[in-house]
Amino acid sequence: MSSSDPAIRCDAVSRRYGERLALDRVSLEVQPGERVLLTGGNGAGKTTLLRMLATVLRPHEGALAVAGHPLPREARRVRPLVGYLGHEPLVYPGLTAGENLELYAALQGAAPDRVGAALELVGLERRRGDLASNLSRGMRQRLALARAVLHRPRILLLDEPTTGLDDDGRERLRGLLAAHDGTAVISTHEPEWFAPLHVRRIALAEGRLA
Amino acid sequence: MRAYRALLRKDLLLEWRGRELVPAMLAFVLGAMVLVRFGLGGETLAGGTRAATGLLWVIVVFTSMLALVRSFAQEREHGIWDGLLSTPADRSAIWAARATATFLFLALTQVVAVPLFWLFFLQEGRSPSLGVLVAALLLADLGVAMLGSLLAGLATHVRAREVLLPVMFLPFMLPLVTVAVRLTVDTISPQTRGFHTSQGLGFLALYDTIFGLLGWALFEFVVED
Repeated sequence: MSSSDPAIRCDAVSRRYGERLALDRVSLEVQPGERVLLTGGNGAGKTTLLRMLATVLRPHEGALAVAGHPLPREARRVRPLVGYLGHEPLVYPGLTAGENLELYAALQGAAPDRVGAALELVGLERRRGDLASNLSRGMRQRLALARAVLHRPRILLLDEPTTGLDDDGRERLRGLLAAHDGTAVISTHEPEWFAPLHVRRIALAEGRLA
Repeated sequence: MRAYRALLRKDLLLEWRGRELVPAMLAFVLGAMVLVRFGLGGETLAGGTRAATGLLWVIVVFTSMLALVRSFAQEREHGIWDGLLSTPADRSAIWAARATATFLFLALTQVVAVPLFWLFFLQEGRSPSLGVLVAALLLADLGVAMLGSLLAGLATHVRAREVLLPVMFLPFMLPLVTVAVRLTVDTISPQTRGFHTSQGLGFLALYDTIFGLLGWALFEFVVED
């Protein structure tokens, strides 16, 4: 990534699910260090855009680049740079919180001692030995957040990160975002809650920039 | 290698805690053999040793189907594919770990299945060549696990996966079962041993090599969007 490359560049990106157009020629740029909120109603295309940026979906049309690397061709170079929090917690219910993060640390190539630090960051250090299936919805969301930041990614992609979080969890999320000096793209239905973080808002409606 | 070890540990831990697959596979083996044994009403199988070993291998293949239809079930049901695929880990590590776990589950099931088979269907004093039989079983299990995990990955995003997987999987089992039956028969009938044994084990090793290479090379294209 050269210093002039945007962190994220979408150029007329489209994506279909069968006949339905989920994203329709969306173009946008996000600069390094910038925090962006994706807003819009259900089905606006926020999750689809985040999944494409996380390299788990391919664009059907248009050009997409993360940290200067075109996708999907250079997805391997993008993945270590990105931390993705999905709609689901993306953890195994039959593994403990610690085991889930140890697995993802191995997959991310992160140091094993990052597991304890990530759990502490989200306030789950005392629940390390608890099965994920025994955690409340909010606790699982904290675990998902820990999973997303485990490898200290430069670019955070967070899909409705406040879902299920209590006041303490929200404060921790805000602190985590404030301390993150990289780029963050966050989809949310609560844009006002993120306002103190000096975010730029991008609105989507029916797959297009509103 | 670290990713492979972590994924295999995950698969074994989930089975140990959930006890979902191995008990079901053991129950199937036991049920199928008891059904056939009592269905025969004390008679021996008309085809003799070859029919009995054919039965053993058909049970092995159908037992493996139980494991394969549940392959990647957690990833599918809890949306975990997105988590795995957003990491830089080599996709072939996911396949290799799943294949290894399936291989271990199959081998564990056969520790029960093979003595039962001898007890129920071959009680005429014929002693098998245990080394050849174990080698044949392990090589066949490896082939089943590697091919099956590749096809299970292919079927994972398909709605009718429980139907599609056996339809894709069973035709590939034909050469493996044919050779495995001949090998097993050879372990019981010593006069044919030697030529068939080395040829048969060589074929199974070749089968494993082919589907090992295919699984390693193709799994990325199978699971990615």
